[in-house]
Amino acid sequence: MTNNAKTSLLRREWMLAAVTLLVLIALWWTFRPEKLWVNQKVNEAAPFDESSTAQPILTARFEANAQQTSGRATVCRKPDGGKYLRLSDFTPPNGSDIHVLLARGDNPKTAQEAADGQSEGIDCGPLKSNQGNQDCDLPMAADLGRYDAVVIYGQTPRAVFGIAKLEPF
Amino acid sequence: MPRKNHARVVLALLFSLMGFTYASAQEKAKTLFTGTFHGKVHPTSGRATVYQETDGRQMLRLTNFKTSNGPDVHVVLIAAKDADDDANFLKNSTERIELGGLKGNEGDQNYDIPKGTDLHRFQTVSIYCVRFNANFGAAPLEKF
Repeated sequence: MTNNAKTSLLRREWMLAAVTLLVLIALWWTFRPEKLWVNQKVNEAAPFDESSTAQPILTARFEANAQQTSGRATVCRKPDGGKYLRLSDFTPPNGSDIHVLLARGDNPKTAQEAADGQSEGIDCGPLKSNQGNQDCDLPMAADLGRYDAVVIYGQTPRAVFGIAKLEPF
Repeated sequence: MPRKNHARVVLALLFSLMGFTYASAQEKAKTLFTGTFHGKVHPTSGRATVYQETDGRQMLRLTNFKTSNGPDVHVVLIAAKDADDDANFLKNSTERIELGGLKGNEGDQNYDIPKGTDLHRFQTVSIYCVRFNANFGAAPLEKF
């Protein structure tokens, strides 16, 4: 092998190495495989003071059942530890003596049992008005982890009108 | 004359106090919309909430948030009721509003919503991989 041939071979190897490197960099930039096992954590503050205002802890929208009931139910915790249930954007079913109940289980069967008083629940009593937002206080000692749904039911006849399956806020 | 001045001072104090209590009663971001993320292919979970700040600006906040890390991932609002996993908004010509690059794939984070955004039309938040045009996770927003 002549000296010239040797250098051209060497040059070709260098070229190949450079091209391979470029391709590898392009592939890495495109797929960023290291992100599969690298987590990027952030923790930005809320746009309000979380310690001085009531905070939602559970929330859900009502799924209409027998009649048109719509809106949102939210369980909130006040800075002093007090808890309350808020109905917002709320349209109640027709009829009188409509009750609000915090119940266990989140299906029509468990809701009916709760309305019938056959299972544990917190009855917030009759609706205060037929329109708009309304709050009802919950017992300070209520263990909210035990309840899965807010149920709207009528006393006479005993019928479930709406279920909101609570999710953590 | 001095008595009149006193009355003025008292009145001014009273008014400023009223103004102050009014301002502090108003001093809370209003919650407008909220929804939870779903996404199985690129596991995505958590909550998206839109707040209106006291100065009128709207902000999207992600809480208890988690998604898979990836290249060129953005937070966008889309003009759709919901989005499937890996949905391609370019191919489906889904209108979207860019809120910025994802700050982190884990944790609480805030994004400014451009002024004049119609949230009744752009009603879903998507975690969108722009490089591969794939939806990682979507959170349909519902009225709070």
